Order: sequence, then structure tokens, then C-alpha cells
Amino acid sequence: MIHAVLADDEVLARQKLRQLLREEPDVEIVGEGASAQETIELVRATSPELLFLDIRMPGMDGFDVIDELAGSAGCAMPRVVFTTAYDQYAVRAFEIHAADYLLKPFTSERLRSAVQRVRDQVEAVEQSAVNGNGHRAKASAYSTRIVFKSRGRILFLPVPDIRWIAAEENYVRISTDKETHLLRETMAHLEERLDPQMFLRVHRSAIVNLHYIKEVRTEQNGDFAVLMANGQKLPMSRGYRSRVSEWLIRS
Amino acid sequence: MRLLPESKDRTQPVFMHPVIFVGTSALLGLLFALQEWMGIHKWNLHINLPVLLAAWGVQYLLWGIFCWLLWWWLGPQIQRSKPIWLITRLLPLSLVACLAEEMIWVLIFPNLPLNHPHMDYWRRLEFQLDGELFNSILIFWCAVALFRGIGYYQRYREKERAAAQLEVQLANAKISALRMQLNPHFLFNTMNSISSLMRNDIDAADTMLEQLGSLLRITLERRDAQLITLRDEVEFIEMYLAMQERRYGNRVSQSLSIDAELHDAMVPAMILQPIVENAYAHGLSKLGGGGILAIDAHREGPHVHLSVLNSGLGLKSDSRPMQSGQGFGLANIRSRLQLHYGSDHTFDISELDPDRVQVAITFPLQLAQNHSKQITRFGA
Repeated sequence: MIHAVLADDEVLARQKLRQLLREEPDVEIVGEGASAQETIELVRATSPELLFLDIRMPGMDGFDVIDELAGSAGCAMPRVVFTTAYDQYAVRAFEIHAADYLLKPFTSERLRSAVQRVRDQVEAVEQSAVNGNGHRAKASAYSTRIVFKSRGRILFLPVPDIRWIAAEENYVRISTDKETHLLRETMAHLEERLDPQMFLRVHRSAIVNLHYIKEVRTEQNGDFAVLMANGQKLPMSRGYRSRVSEWLIRS
Repeated sequence: MRLLPESKDRTQPVFMHPVIFVGTSALLGLLFALQEWMGIHKWNLHINLPVLLAAWGVQYLLWGIFCWLLWWWLGPQIQRSKPIWLITRLLPLSLVACLAEEMIWVLIFPNLPLNHPHMDYWRRLEFQLDGELFNSILIFWCAVALFRGIGYYQRYREKERAAAQLEVQLANAKISALRMQLNPHFLFNTMNSISSLMRNDIDAADTMLEQLGSLLRITLERRDAQLITLRDEVEFIEMYLAMQERRYGNRVSQSLSIDAELHDAMVPAMILQPIVENAYAHGLSKLGGGGILAIDAHREGPHVHLSVLNSGLGLKSDSRPMQSGQGFGLANIRSRLQLHYGSDHTFDISELDPDRVQVAITFPLQLAQNHSKQITRFGA
């Protein structure tokens, strides 16, 4: 069971969350705060696992609330999902490890995926506790998620959701299962940030998530290509063929 | 100002009107006569004033007529030609004109010069030319200089007028482009759709609301930039297409093909949206299924080539008269293209088949110089 506190100065905003969260049977709302102070007291009193937090509230803003809570002893920080009309706080939210950032007006689907992220995180922590890996997963040199803006939306994209990345001149096209996003990045920079256990650069203009490779193909002209699970075909350099085939055999 | 008969279709400044021109010259002549008379009088000499007036008056009157003829026949050339032409063509003409003028004058005044024994025509002409040739040539070239000056002045005023007009056009285009960015009629239509959807499909209404929110955010990011990268323009169109896809389901198959090297090409903001909107409103909405909407962007030499292809009744074959919304959107695009690129652009609407229409635009390729900061971050 995930206990949640809703923090928003607008009645209708809280009402919407309450209604939509009815669809999530494992989420129980234990309190609603209409101001920063109220929220802080509620969180201290109920120790929820999840906090839906508006940013602009009378008195202190959402980030101040987090600072206050982080400072209090003996109180586990809940996972925070920001709900706000403002997109300019996304990077800051990302950097303080918020679970997600929902831009108003958001759909029920969007809320669902945010709640799922929280579930995954909670599960991961519980799992590592069982495995005896300690309270925090060991810090990795590689990124586990990326924040960016695409088509007017803010995404906190978990890296494992990326299927493949293709180069497009000064940009890269990142593909998830449902859509692609164009970012102004270099392939080299991405290669650095992504775990090579999961992502392999198979070509000057392609990086693939090994978990989503379906097979390796030889084209008519002798070039190699990688076929992804969703049917997308990407070019592959000769040198990588054996590595990829090896990986496929092993998995 | 139409002061000349229609045979020579030129407008000319008011002071070049023949009567005023010639009249002024005659007046000048009279003034010179007076000057000479006063000079002679000062020396306590006498001279026949009426004769003096007549002589000077006629001389300048003649010059007035000559100059006016010069303006009439060669005015534009004098105003516009290179200096070389002035030297090679006008110099001989000036000599001829001076000679002619003096010949006529000497003919009119057989009893001049005064106080000299009677001379025959050619002697008198020689005498006159001796004294007056230099002055005459000076008068001729002063007239030429005056004409040229008028030419420069006219061109200057022309440029000023054109610049002022352009400024007004630019301001108007900016305002309408700004209005297009927020595009109220599109907003209200979408709100109406949401109002309709929410009565029986809350999720669909919610999705459309969220999409509208995203579109507005994209628009706000741009502020009032007139030119944006193609990548940003396509971002907007992708969201717009997603909205349309929800409305039209699988009745329309969309395709978007953008050459990677054009991502950073600068394009007028909101150049594609009105075209796509038209494609849906006037073409695709008529179809029950199997519709196509294809957007393509590729490079053609130094130009960017954008095209929107759609099936369904095209803009041309639409028998209904153009509605105000439709015309305005495309007219706005045309004028903005003209403003940004002058004549170095094309805008064509063509019917590829009876049921396929393509709008194609080309304009010079200009790559973005600096980029707005993206918020991409990597983390845990």
C-alpha cells in the first residue's frame, strides 16, 4: 500500500487527483494540504510514501517544503511527484530526485505512469533491501534517467525505456516504445552517459538498447543491420556484428 | 501629377511645367537685364532700357524653351545615365544648342550690338558667340545639373516612400503573425471539440486538453520570434497532427519526412499550421477513409523545399467560395514569405490528381546562428 498526501492550494486540483487516484487501488490518500505549512505538518504526522506537490502555494513554495522536510529528523522523505502549471522548475525538480513532474493539465494516463514510476522505485528499494545491497542502490557512473522537453511536455525518461537512438546531424532521435524525441545532443555524449551493459553503439549513427534487439540482418548489399523488436531497422557497422550476435546468443 | 499630355507618360515635378519653366527663365532674363542696366547706370552711362530688357528677355526665353525641350526629350536619360554618356552625347549637343540659340537670337535682333557699326549676320553672330558662347554653354550645363539633381531627389523620395511602406507592411505582418501564433479561431474550435467530447468520452476530452496545453506551451516558448528553426516548427506540427489524428482516427494516414540537415534551418514561425489546417478542413474532412497527409522538407541547392500533400477535395476543386478563414491563412503566409525573402521564394498550390493537392514552398536556406538552451539533463 502506498500512502499519499496531496498538496495544492486549489480545491479543484486536489479533487482531480483524488478522483483519478481512485483508479489506483494500492494508493491510499491519507491527507490533503492547501498550504505549505499544512503539508509539512501532514507529512510529518503521516509519513507517506508519496507526496503530490504543487510548486506555487501561498507562503513557501514546493521546494521550500522539501527543504523543510529533508531537514526534519526521523522522517523519511516521501517520493515527490510535482503537479504544476509551470515548466520552468523541471530541471530543479529533476536534480532533487523528484519521481516525476506533471504539467497541468495532465491526463489520467500521465498520472498513471507517474504512479507506476513510484511503484517501481519503491519496489527497487525493497528489492535491494532484501538483497542486502543497503538502503541506497550503489551509485552508478551512468545515467538512469534523462529530463528533457519535447513537444511542449516535460519528460523524466527512465533510461531503460529507450529502445534506440539515431543520429540526425546536430540532433539525436531518441525512441521509446510509443514515440520519438529529437534532442540537440551528440552521439558521443550519449554514449558516455549510457551504461554499455545496456546500450551498444553499433554504428556511427546508431545506439541500441540490447534488450530490444530482435535479430541481426545482412542486407542485400552486404551491409549489416539490426532489427528491433518493434520492426525498426538500424544500420550496424561490420565491427560490431560479432559482439551483438554473441549477446543475442547469451540472452 | 498628370501635367503633360498622355503621349509621354511621365509624372513631373510641378516646376517643370512648361509655362512655369519658360516663364521663370524669362524672368531670370529680365533680372539680368536690370542688373546690367543698373551697372551701366552706375557708371553714368545710358542705355535704351526697353532694348536691354528685350535682348536679355529673349535670350533667356530662348534658353527657357531650349531647356524645356531638353527636359522633354532627354530628361530621363540625363537623370539616369552614367557620366560618360553625358560627356559623349551631351557635349556635342550642348555646342549645337548654343549655336542654334545664338543664331536665332542674332536673327531676332538685327540692330544689336548697339553702338557698333552695322555688321552683316555672320559678323554679328561671330561677335555674339565671341562674347556669349561660354555663358551659353554654362547655362546649358546648369540646366543639365538641375535635371540630374531633380533625378537624385526623386529617387531619394522614392526610396523613402518604399522604406516607409515596407515598415508599415512589416508591422502589419508582425501583428497578424502574432495573432496567428495564438490563432484564436483554432483555440476556440478546439475548446468546442473538448466541450463536445467531455459529454461522452472524458478521457478523449482530457487528452485533447493536454494536447492543447502542450501546443500553447510550445507557442509561448517562441515569444514573438518571426523565424524559428524547422525543428521547432515541426515540433508544433507533430503535436498538431497528434490532435488531428485523435479526431480523424484511422481515416487519415500521416507522414512527416524532414531531412536531418534542415533541422536547424530558419523558417517563418507557424508557416505549416495554416496549410495543414486547410488540408484537414477542406480536403481530408470530406473523406471517409484512406486519406493521406504528407509533409516533406528537403534541401534543393541553396533553398529549403517544404510541401504539404493531402488527398480529398483540394483547394482548387472546392466549388464553394473561399471562406475568410482559409484565404486569410494562406494570404498571410504569402505576404510573410515576401517580406522575409523578397522575390527569392515560391508558393505554389497544385493539383497533382483530381483528388490530391500539394502546397509547395521554397525559400533560401539560412541556418540558425545560436540556439535556445535546451533543458536536457542526465541524472539518476
